[in-house]
Amino acid sequence: MSPKTPIVNRVRELRERHGGMTQAQLGEAIGVTRQTVIAIEQNRYSPSLESAFRIARLFGVGLEDVFSWDE
Amino acid sequence: MSFREKSAWIMSIALLLGGMVYFSTVVSIWFESGQLASPAIPLLVTYTVVICVLAVIGYIVAATLTPKDARTAVDERERQIFSRAGHYGSVVSGAGVVMSLGGYLLLQSGDLLFHTVLASLMLGQVADYVLQIRYYRTSI
Repeated sequence: MSPKTPIVNRVRELRERHGGMTQAQLGEAIGVTRQTVIAIEQNRYSPSLESAFRIARLFGVGLEDVFSWDE
Repeated sequence: MSFREKSAWIMSIALLLGGMVYFSTVVSIWFESGQLASPAIPLLVTYTVVICVLAVIGYIVAATLTPKDARTAVDERERQIFSRAGHYGSVVSGAGVVMSLGGYLLLQSGDLLFHTVLASLMLGQVADYVLQIRYYRTSI
């Protein structure tokens, strides 16, 4: 079992809402690899603040609409 | 599996096989002659060639299977993975070198010092690649 980060996200949900954007397309849009998008969606990697903002801006939502602290 | 994770697998295997070639020769000489083999350039050249050939073949196969991945630039997560794995790999190398120096102080064998320092460097590098694989598969 992979250890998870304390930050959870709705990246997958937002990606699917945006016309079923693929992980590779999202990765290309924000400048990371598909494997990193997969790791973010599985909460195995917390992206940098810059990438977090890029994701939020891409989906047209606020940062806290994408990422939240898992209490 | 990303191209760089495949690369870490390739280098781990290449280093382990190269190390096996080197140390199996050293140990067999030790058993045959009853004394530790002195460092020899032909053996080191063989070790280097084995690693280079395996790495080149492995990289060509991996790049052929996933050409797009092979051209992708390193991203922020991979930089963190390399940095953390490299740190612990250096710790392994450093600890091995310190133990080798301790061994030299006790046994006064330059040949043993050479082989144990080389083994430390190999192990440090293998630890680096193995940790990269681990971080690719779990969280960082």
